[in-house]
Amino acid sequence: MSEQRVPCVAGLFSETDGKAVVHGSRCTSCNTPYFPKTSHCHNPGCDESNVEDYDFGGKGVLWSYSVADFPPPPPHKYDEPFKPYVIGVVDLDAGLRMVGQMIDPLEAVQIGAQVELVIDTLYHEDGKAHTSWKFKQLQN
Amino acid sequence: MQEVAVLGVGMHRFGKTGDAVVGTKSVTELCRHAINEALRDAGANWRDIQAVAAASSRFSGGKGWGLNGNDVVEDLGSTGIPVYNMSAGCAAGGNAFNVGYSLVAGGVYDMVLVVGGEVMPKGMIQTSGVEEATDPEFLRQRCVGMPGPSFWSTLARRRMHDFGTTEEQFSRITVKARACSVHNPNSRFQKAITIEDVLGSPYVSNPLRLFQICPVSNGAAAAIICSAEKARQFTTHPVTVASSAVATMTFDDMLPRGLADPVTREDNLHTEVRNAVRSAFDKASMGPQDVSFIELQDNTCYYELAFPEEWGFCEPGEAQRLMDDGETTPDGRLPINPSGGFVSFGEATTAMGVFQIAELTWQLRGQAGGRQVPNAKVGLAQTNGLGGNATAAILKK
Repeated sequence: MSEQRVPCVAGLFSETDGKAVVHGSRCTSCNTPYFPKTSHCHNPGCDESNVEDYDFGGKGVLWSYSVADFPPPPPHKYDEPFKPYVIGVVDLDAGLRMVGQMIDPLEAVQIGAQVELVIDTLYHEDGKAHTSWKFKQLQN
Repeated sequence: MQEVAVLGVGMHRFGKTGDAVVGTKSVTELCRHAINEALRDAGANWRDIQAVAAASSRFSGGKGWGLNGNDVVEDLGSTGIPVYNMSAGCAAGGNAFNVGYSLVAGGVYDMVLVVGGEVMPKGMIQTSGVEEATDPEFLRQRCVGMPGPSFWSTLARRRMHDFGTTEEQFSRITVKARACSVHNPNSRFQKAITIEDVLGSPYVSNPLRLFQICPVSNGAAAAIICSAEKARQFTTHPVTVASSAVATMTFDDMLPRGLADPVTREDNLHTEVRNAVRSAFDKASMGPQDVSFIELQDNTCYYELAFPEEWGFCEPGEAQRLMDDGETTPDGRLPINPSGGFVSFGEATTAMGVFQIAELTWQLRGQAGGRQVPNAKVGLAQTNGLGGNATAAILKK
């Protein structure tokens, strides 16, 4: 039996039929995307805030990355023993610059690479796998 | 508006809890030392102080409410003067200076104390502690896990990609900073180190290593500011404030601060800092060509390259050549952080904006000893902090 997967924070993202999305918003007046959700458009140049729910996912380009060589302080959670991971900053085609852990090891990660949004395990607790969004490099 | 002078400055040397320098001293004791030094430097008395602009700390003193200025007044003697406690993350010291400056410039008070001090908890700075899905910093740490050093190393990595900056170049900045610190009695580290030492220190967040990132420190700094007219009762050659500015970030900002931000047309990073420095230049009717030296917020040595470019001191990608050519040393054409900077002092977060005012003042008076910038006429100081806060101040002799 496969382990039970639960989001590390409820309501932020989901995965249906293998397609990962994060739940955000978009202002229909000025087309500005937001994640997480907002109740009001933050664009000072927008004349009228008209915010609706919008799901973001799909592909993007890796803008830069770093490595967590040491465990971050709480409230981060991780499985022992700590394993360093790569953190990507991705410009999604949908218009968001977004942070997330990378699935790929440091040696493989390249600025400018095509990536896609996925849902993957972050840590285990109470016998369950707690998931978050991450990025995965696509083969060129 | 009346002209404002920096009449006196003082510091408590920076150190680490338990060491021979700061030991177990409280933030109040550190501040008291810095203030007494500043009063002595000014030739003024505690009873001359008409108001206090203090940096609010999240980490120490202030009765848990950031009331650090009230702590100071109670400690030095409750004279009933007004206290302004300024909160702006790591920019709080610069913010307190701006408020003190504005009050004197506006003619509200004649003499104001500006002060910031910290006793910092060990290790990486932690988030707010709020575990709520509505708190973006909580989400960033729970869902991703991106501590401060990773934020900086993301920027350093992008710079390596854009401009071919090498780990050796980042390391040489630390070597330069520590060479300055040898001549600074207030610095926590006062020993020269080699490029091998830096490259031999462990990665905190690849590509940045331990010696390329400022640790947290305990320390305090104080400045007595007054109208230039009043200052002339004390000294014939006061250091004056050409301008002081505060700004916040703008919507065009592309720094990965939260979980996600809208992609804008240009890769504008640190817009709050750009906005504050531009504002300081505008108010002073000055530009980069007028500046003799800069004290900037080098949480990591990356900023000694990025900031001068973002502020128009040189073209994007050019700062590393200036550094390679020795132009950013105290004797160079564009001296950066002759004090030794955050990399040598460590960050006593809310004290830093005031520490920079002290260094600018010593440099402009020609009292900076072995780290003196020859013929220093105009100094630029800059801080930035959580929430998209930034400050800039220009002092001149």
